[in-house]
Amino acid sequence: MTLTILKLEIRRVVRDRVRLFFTAIMPAFFYVIFGAAQSYGSIKVAHGNVAMMIMVAMAAYGAVAATASLGAATAIERATGWGRQLGLTPLGDGQYVAIKSALAVVVAIIPITIVSVIGASTDVEATPKAWVLSISILIGGSVLFALYGLVLGQLVRGEAALGAVSGSLVVLSFLGNLFFPLSGGWLTFARFTPLYGYATLARYPVSDGWVVSSDGDPVHEALWMPLTNVAVWLVILAVAATLLVRRSRARQ
Amino acid sequence: MTPAIELLQVSRRFRGSTAPIVAVDHIDLRIEPGEVVALLGPNGAGKTTTLDMVLGLSAPTSGSINVFGMAPRAAVAAGRVAAVLQTGGLLPDLTVAETVEFIAATYSNPEPVTRVLELANLTAISGRRVSKCSGGEQQRLRFALALLPRPDLLILDEPTAGMDVNARRDFWAQMHAEAREGRTVVFATHYLEEADDFADRTVLMSGGRIVADGPTEEIRAKATGRWVSAELADPARAIDRFGGQLVAQRLVVRAADSDLVALALLTEFGATNLEVVSGSLEDAFVALTEGAAK
Repeated sequence: MTLTILKLEIRRVVRDRVRLFFTAIMPAFFYVIFGAAQSYGSIKVAHGNVAMMIMVAMAAYGAVAATASLGAATAIERATGWGRQLGLTPLGDGQYVAIKSALAVVVAIIPITIVSVIGASTDVEATPKAWVLSISILIGGSVLFALYGLVLGQLVRGEAALGAVSGSLVVLSFLGNLFFPLSGGWLTFARFTPLYGYATLARYPVSDGWVVSSDGDPVHEALWMPLTNVAVWLVILAVAATLLVRRSRARQ
Repeated sequence: MTPAIELLQVSRRFRGSTAPIVAVDHIDLRIEPGEVVALLGPNGAGKTTTLDMVLGLSAPTSGSINVFGMAPRAAVAAGRVAAVLQTGGLLPDLTVAETVEFIAATYSNPEPVTRVLELANLTAISGRRVSKCSGGEQQRLRFALALLPRPDLLILDEPTAGMDVNARRDFWAQMHAEAREGRTVVFATHYLEEADDFADRTVLMSGGRIVADGPTEEIRAKATGRWVSAELADPARAIDRFGGQLVAQRLVVRAADSDLVALALLTEFGATNLEVVSGSLEDAFVALTEGAAK
């Protein structure tokens, strides 16, 4: 039964050509600028090179942007009355959040694949194990940001939700060490933000936890840190999303 | 027999900017299976809030609600109750058939999609995007969705709002067919003639309360009465007999048979400057509400 709904939801995503285009192209564009065109890309790290690290970061950004905007769009569509319509069916709130999360994972595969293909055909180098693990983590972990978009979308009502989601993601991406290496107090703070956990975990198979910091000294992260970060955010966001979806049954 | 709907002392308050807003104020209501009931009242009477609570879309602030002896949400999950909502949204990027397919997938044993499309007269436009459908077509689609669980209780919140005369007539013809199959139908409306044409029983709401409840005939007589006003030497005696009240030195009485009251006032009470005016439905609501407050 949920497969039918997932199939129809995927069909809706495919129909929105403009959004699909940006979802697919933006992170690829970022990778080409930040990664493929830079000379330091060929520097070796534990199980690959710096180009691979940048590629994973850009794929993470692409996946997060796609899933979070999908979450925000879900919140908007519920507010327009579809939430009331669904409230008249046996579909549970948790089930609904699960379907939308599954949809987000499917959508996240698009930018991740495109960035990976461009990376593999340029200077990215990594062991097969690092490739498989990093991409699996990128795909699976993107669920977190579908929930993030859903929660933010319900808190910030209406069309402003999309702006709040994309704006906050830029901030979280910097804190997630995606665009620019952090150090010191900023790095300490960043460790508690959701994109840091996700991106660090996705890069772990490549770097074994070594992170470049902006003052030049490499920093090592223990595996439990990004794992705890992702687990805690997953619980917080999943519970908040389900509770807020329940609330959106009422008239607004 | 277990009632289809049972409300006991149900209230619903919303947070207002200064004081809480009481949308529904301690109402009791019992509707038996097979009844066709109109919930009649002006905007803001509390009709939609009441129906939302019966459907489990919102919870009462106090009081209890049972639908076929179950909690509202359980009755919805069991497919016993379905609704066509005034503000129920549809997804504009799905087609008509896809929308039905989507909602059908949430039920374990729904009516087949093709059958529902046929019943709601949507087969010809099943491939059309919802965004390209007219208001009437979208309303038929909402109706189709409500038929999916084969509900025992069908709730309609101003189902014909935005429909033209023909669409409205077709819609009610279909509803008659549904009622003949033994379904309980409860619908909210602010058109007296809709209640009159279709409901056996009318529950009149105003200001969050039930101000009248009875056979539609009776309610209509009350609501379509006329106002008789006159100046009298001894209004107290007339008030004893006809009810009504003094407004700016004039007795104002609402009467189902205004001729009879006017005749009595003129001949027995020596009334002068007598006027007879027909009241609007809004006036009737006001009168009935004031009656209930006393």
